[in-house]
Amino acid sequence: MICRKGSKGAKIALLAIFLLSALLLSGCWNNRDLTEMNLVSAAGLERTKDGKLLLTVQVVEPAAIQSTSSGKGQGGNGSPYPTYVSSYEGETLFETIRGILSTLDKKLFFSATQILILGENLAKDDIIEALDFFQRDHEINYKMYILVAKDVSPQEILEIKNDLDPIEAMYLKRTVDNNVARGTVKRTMLIDLVKDIYCSGKQIAIGQITKSGKKEVRTEGIAVFKDGKLAGWLNRRETRGYLFAINQIKSTIVNVPVEEGLVAIETISAKGKVHVPFKKGKPAALGIKVNIEAAVGEYAGTGKLECPERIYELERKTEEVVRKEIEDALKKVQKEFSSDIFGFGQQVRKYNPKYWKKIKKEWNELFSELPADIKVKAKLRRVGSVRDSLEKDE
Amino acid sequence: MEKIQISHIQLFMLLSGFLFGSTVIISPVQEAANDGWLAILLGGAGGFLLMWLYVKIALLNPSKTLVEILKERMGKVVGNILAVFYIWYFIHVASIVFRDFGEFITAMTFPETPMGVIIGIFAVLVVYVLNSGIEVLARLCEILVPIIYIAILIISLALITVRDFTAFLPLLENGITPVLKSAFSIISFPFGEAVAFLMVFPILYKEEKLKKVVFSATIVAIATVLIVFFRDLFVLGSGLIRRTNFVPHLTTLILPWFNVEPLLDITLMIGGGAKICICIYAAVKGLSQIIKIDDYRSLTGAVVIFSVVLCIWSFENVLELFAFTDKVWPFYSLPFQVIIPLLLLLLSFRNKSRPSKQGAQTQTGQKESNTN
Repeated sequence: MICRKGSKGAKIALLAIFLLSALLLSGCWNNRDLTEMNLVSAAGLERTKDGKLLLTVQVVEPAAIQSTSSGKGQGGNGSPYPTYVSSYEGETLFETIRGILSTLDKKLFFSATQILILGENLAKDDIIEALDFFQRDHEINYKMYILVAKDVSPQEILEIKNDLDPIEAMYLKRTVDNNVARGTVKRTMLIDLVKDIYCSGKQIAIGQITKSGKKEVRTEGIAVFKDGKLAGWLNRRETRGYLFAINQIKSTIVNVPVEEGLVAIETISAKGKVHVPFKKGKPAALGIKVNIEAAVGEYAGTGKLECPERIYELERKTEEVVRKEIEDALKKVQKEFSSDIFGFGQQVRKYNPKYWKKIKKEWNELFSELPADIKVKAKLRRVGSVRDSLEKDE
Repeated sequence: MEKIQISHIQLFMLLSGFLFGSTVIISPVQEAANDGWLAILLGGAGGFLLMWLYVKIALLNPSKTLVEILKERMGKVVGNILAVFYIWYFIHVASIVFRDFGEFITAMTFPETPMGVIIGIFAVLVVYVLNSGIEVLARLCEILVPIIYIAILIISLALITVRDFTAFLPLLENGITPVLKSAFSIISFPFGEAVAFLMVFPILYKEEKLKKVVFSATIVAIATVLIVFFRDLFVLGSGLIRRTNFVPHLTTLILPWFNVEPLLDITLMIGGGAKICICIYAAVKGLSQIIKIDDYRSLTGAVVIFSVVLCIWSFENVLELFAFTDKVWPFYSLPFQVIIPLLLLLLSFRNKSRPSKQGAQTQTGQKESNTN
């Protein structure tokens, strides 16, 4: 009404009010500036000897990032690292997060956290109760990576300083990414972990992290859990076998021994599938099927790849190597940990729900005793720019 | 009274926005977990029947709102009493949507803002829209409701890489009971609540298109709920779906590259807004017809404030809200959504079959129903 009848001045006033209210609408109630909070880039959790939680956080000072990137090489005044590490002990995680403010200046902000490292003692105790906070809170980055520290406390890993990246959490994250690409560590994001915990018929497996030298970390292998408690570790090779089976390998290098040396095979794509074949109403075996497409990447030795028959032979050998890796991983989790990280139980639950209801409780024992049925099919498509290996003509 | 009319596309958008409402954040089939799609199909079929019921009533009583129909078919006293109950029901629906909205925003987006402030600001908007007239609301929905579908499309497509397409197995793991329960609750929320549209149907410009519009909106709503359900299930798995408070919100959080959480908030505001506006409109329109005033606008403010206060007072915490909407709501809604409308339909048929005193209006009603 005002608009229609009012003068031009009234229209302008109205417009001004609308525009001004836009300023108010842009902010939320609890507006916090970047400079008013501590961005947590990585966090570590460990259980102390007297049963308390020890939280270690690595916080980033945004202003310091600028000074390091511009002031690199000038050397000199102040710490060149924009991160700061601090720890605090408490009984519950939330209490600890608030308690850490007794030593830090600004409130912690977890929405940009890249890495969460769980300590070995905590893992042996129970990780599930410690993770509840991360699922309940609203400011959590569900895509943060979770790792379990082996032979080292999370605090030590977070305190590593090297010059590869000003923020150490990014360095950690990228090494994990590299190892995921190599097929030597399982990428476990918080959401995957939560999904697996809720999933009946599957145990959890989390990537592992150790210290390598003074300034570096190594993220190879996985930690195997049984009902939320750490059961043991898989090494690099076994981890790759496991990842082949659960379809998480893209490109990895498989060394295949031949008569005159080693051939490095690069997988281009790999499709893995687990299933449980049933016979007479009972599970007959633990089936794993893997199909690999690969290329010859290197021929370290003296040999010739002149005819298709050689390639077929190489394919059989590749299959054998991969099969062995999978078998080792499966044997280990079956016999040593009896923890079904492959998710066979889930397959039983999906395709034979009635049977699953009956044996849900005893699945771990059943799983340990079933024979394995591993089928690997490899196809070598390319050999690169030369056919034969590098050697002197005689 | 001024002549108000909306086009059939506008009604389609209003209705599908309404049906989508707070289903954007609260999955009505949580209990059935991975069998939720069965519940949606069953409940959708039931919802379809309800919509048919409402359309039939509207066609048998052309250009009459629910309150007028009640008065005409049930007599003045009974009709008025029932109408008052209906008005209470509409206000209650609006207050529940208000509360859903407030709970979601305080739990996820603005945890330190008091819920009263969030709902209050939203309520001011509702009053403003309604006082501008139902045509404005219709045009608003025409523009905004497609955004819901675009947002759903974006989120669903972006998540295509993180899916497990066998997550709906095993079938009926926990028997058929949770499926039937969920189907029952999906009939009452959101389909049965569309009884409020009996107050809106009369203003449709071309009444002969009513059937087509309502049915297509219902089908679109069922399909959308189904798509959203499958998306959430394939991404999250059944265990997580059963235990999360706001399922679609969690789904948007794990999008691999970027954060689309605000998109979800927007869809909620549009869908919830449409639903609240329709319910409040139905209530004030009905009220104005009972107490015989020409313009409902003087009542909007009061009714909205009442609804806001109701929503804040009726539940102490979020679990009470969930328990109420789960266990009490479907049964409490039954008379409003099914029993009284069925009665109305029977009475309308009876009046139709014997030559009535109402004359012209009922005659056209006959023609309408005969052609269909």
